[in-house]
Amino acid sequence: MRIDCVICGKVNLDKDTIGINKKLLGAEITNYYCMDCLADYLGCTVQELLDKIQEFKDEGCTLFK
Amino acid sequence: MKQFIYADNAATTQLSKAALDAMMPWMLSEYGNASQPYSFARKPKKALADARAAIADCINAQPDEIFFTSGGTESDNWAIKGSAFSDAQKRATITTTFEHHAILHSCYAIERLGYPVAYLTPTEEGLITTPELQTIISDTTRLVSIMYANNEIGSIQPINELCEVAHSHGALFHTDAVQAVGHVKIDVQRLGVDMLSASAHKFNGPKGIGFLYIRKGTTVSPYADGGAQEMKHRAGTENIAAIVGMAAALTENCTAMDEHIDKAYRLEKRLLDGLCAAHVTFSRNGGDNTLPGLLSLSFPGADGEAILHRMDLSGICISTGSACNSESTEISHVLQAIRLDESLAKGTIRIALGKNNNEDDVDRIVQALLRIVGQEVQ
Repeated sequence: MRIDCVICGKVNLDKDTIGINKKLLGAEITNYYCMDCLADYLGCTVQELLDKIQEFKDEGCTLFK
Repeated sequence: MKQFIYADNAATTQLSKAALDAMMPWMLSEYGNASQPYSFARKPKKALADARAAIADCINAQPDEIFFTSGGTESDNWAIKGSAFSDAQKRATITTTFEHHAILHSCYAIERLGYPVAYLTPTEEGLITTPELQTIISDTTRLVSIMYANNEIGSIQPINELCEVAHSHGALFHTDAVQAVGHVKIDVQRLGVDMLSASAHKFNGPKGIGFLYIRKGTTVSPYADGGAQEMKHRAGTENIAAIVGMAAALTENCTAMDEHIDKAYRLEKRLLDGLCAAHVTFSRNGGDNTLPGLLSLSFPGADGEAILHRMDLSGICISTGSACNSESTEISHVLQAIRLDESLAKGTIRIALGKNNNEDDVDRIVQALLRIVGQEVQ
């Protein structure tokens, strides 16, 4: 199913972006943000989100690629 | 730039400057082996004796009742296995379902060897009661091991009363006081315990060092065979620097304990008041008598792991009572033991304030929590 950014409309968010949305906003969310909009929403940088994604991958979390 | 706030002092604590200063000489110039007979070993030997005496003094024990270990996990392993293996007649152990894994996994290990273990369930407030212990203890019980204070929810147990029950059946009593030593007053004479575990890094000492208090006259099998160190009960060349650092940290914390406790409760109140003022719905776990500064808070409908990571992105270190594995969200064994409702357990975090935290830290924690929890429940 195609998922777009609820703020800027960026289309077809990838698995890592959807995964970090679920990790940081809750597994039950229905609205998703692209990386730029999510970083803006959370008051952090995109790099910090990418670091988090890498940590989750290293832990074996299946929400990510 | 984000201001870093460490509010996970139940996981570990920052090494105190006094401890570091005390350790330095023993890592560089005074590196002698305390077991050697030459004069170069005299100073480390004296440092070892002084540290043992200082630590004993902090918990009202005798110096020869303090056995240095590598930390809380080793102390707990020793207490459980050392007492189980020391009496062929009395083989049973009683512990609780919400102990640290160092106790639980040691108990599983002796069970696999044929030693019976019974597990007490805490109340929903996180307390072990004497009537419950009375119902399962028998004259075949060798050891009762109940933690002094729970590491996730902070509930402090009625150790003195539980200890009396154990002794009335001829059983030994051990308490895992890793989370409590250096934070609340511990007097082993008043408590009546036979063994007590402690770990230096929980009270601003170095990592990799701890001790097991063993009351004089208590029969416990040695932990490690080899040299004559630790009164022939725990072989291995002593880590003098770490031992001296642990003694300095514990002495420092015990000297200023009243001040630290007052401050921790004041900060706790400020945090809870801040959440209440914003009309946030939450509950606190652990009952009325908890470790100073340790707050286990449950936010209904929230995701504890998400809160943890978003607090991290705000520069704030806290802990959670639930963690996601590849399949589902796993609730901690402690929250399961107190039968916390699943929706609350999933939204549980632990904030552990320490002596280095201040009002500004607490205000920032509250602001971040309000932002996160407010967004989460929208």
